[in-house]
Amino acid sequence: MIVFHVDVNSAYLSWEAVYRLQHGAKLDLREIPSAIGGNEKNRHGIVLAKSIPAKKFGVRTGEPLVQARRKCPNLVTVPPNYSLYMQASNVLYELLLEYSSTVQRFSVDECFLDFTKQQHLWNSPVEAAEHLRNRVEKELGFTVNIGVSSNKLLAKMGSDLKKPNKVHTLFPSEMSKKMWTLPVSDLYMVGNATTRKLLKMGIVTIGDLANTNRALLKAHFKSHGDVIWKYANGIDDTAVHGGEYLPYKGVGNGTTISYDVTDREDAHMVLLSLVERVAMRLRKSEHVAGVVAISIKNSSLIRYSHQSTLKNPTDITNDIYQEACRLFNQSWRGEPIRHLRVRLSSLIPKHLNQRTFFEAAKKEKMQDLDKTVDILREKYGDHVVKRGVFVNSKMKPIMGGVGDEEDYKMMTSIL
Amino acid sequence: MKVISKPVEVIAHCTVSGIPQPIRFRITDKKEEDVVVKISKIIEITEEKLAGNKMYVYRCESKINGRQKILELKYELSTCLWYLYKI
Repeated sequence: MIVFHVDVNSAYLSWEAVYRLQHGAKLDLREIPSAIGGNEKNRHGIVLAKSIPAKKFGVRTGEPLVQARRKCPNLVTVPPNYSLYMQASNVLYELLLEYSSTVQRFSVDECFLDFTKQQHLWNSPVEAAEHLRNRVEKELGFTVNIGVSSNKLLAKMGSDLKKPNKVHTLFPSEMSKKMWTLPVSDLYMVGNATTRKLLKMGIVTIGDLANTNRALLKAHFKSHGDVIWKYANGIDDTAVHGGEYLPYKGVGNGTTISYDVTDREDAHMVLLSLVERVAMRLRKSEHVAGVVAISIKNSSLIRYSHQSTLKNPTDITNDIYQEACRLFNQSWRGEPIRHLRVRLSSLIPKHLNQRTFFEAAKKEKMQDLDKTVDILREKYGDHVVKRGVFVNSKMKPIMGGVGDEEDYKMMTSIL
Repeated sequence: MKVISKPVEVIAHCTVSGIPQPIRFRITDKKEEDVVVKISKIIEITEEKLAGNKMYVYRCESKINGRQKILELKYELSTCLWYLYKI
């Protein structure tokens, strides 16, 4: 198998820069210290993407804009424009389809491409990758990194090697030279918490991890230990899922509220507006959820969560909302709330869901209502129908997500 | 040519293939007066899709102040706006 992993270099920022240049801007955002960041007034002020010159000042993705500006006073910040990102992502996807019919959209700025069946058309996969890289730069105006390998994991690690605008190969034979020397935190699925634990065990590089006893890792990290050991050894047998298909384990939605919520009723309204969106996503994927979870972040940035298993899995907005409120009432400690999140998991395909005897008629009615509302919202926009509680309230009837761009491709942790 | 990227009013006709062809455009000059420029010739039309944003780019020839000049007009498909991009 030959797989390409195509990754857009500083995606949000490049796309914004290209868009501006196309409209006659004299300055290329990519060449000055700049960052894409949310609206600080609404407290969405974190760095979403940064330019390479900004990186040299130590600006990091995910840190507050205020902190970034302390490091780099001349930092130019631009608010995000998600519909532009989706447009750029779509055009990249269309271009990739010219090289292979099996393209998996991994996130808004990353795609996997199964090149196995197209190999004979080119002298080498690297030649095809170079051709693709050049075309993206010339026709679409932004740059990509392409990792070429024999599976998705190695291709992804490969595209991360040196940026920007490069093609890298990372075949199993090159692992020891190119991948094993990297710090263990660079490995896919090794986050902050895992890195901390690995460092305590004396595992510093990916190579150390690859040569660690598998059973030892399993004892420390359970099944996750097995996963990272396999990844460190370049073992991954997942196929490139063509088309728009994305397997996922749960759907979630959260928002940082523009002021600290201290009132139970207000918090319930926020929950409702979050549930509206998340339930819509759930129904769109034709699943029902068995577990509802909420998480609360208070004004001192301490986060805690609470979850419960439903007696009957559901996709009804009202049912999910009532459960979310119950969980909230049980867990809220009464302090000011900054951020709320609702997550649905244990998804079951809708057609496999066991129907219930009780309240069956009522449930069917509610499902029909949800379906009608979904159709209306899809056709005329999210705000065509809203709940009565939001009338005369400053709160948005549907919150979270990325603007009105419902098709926005989110990152996933499943290869 | 210099990039100026100013929105302009345009009279155009559409071909059967659906591509608009500019005939003349109106722009406000430095003295705040409206100037109408006639397109004498469209030299080349190219399609641009930078960051997925589709635009037609027209390389044209026009007579400005008695002199033939090359200029570039752009038409943005998503907004239906015309720009005098370069002159």
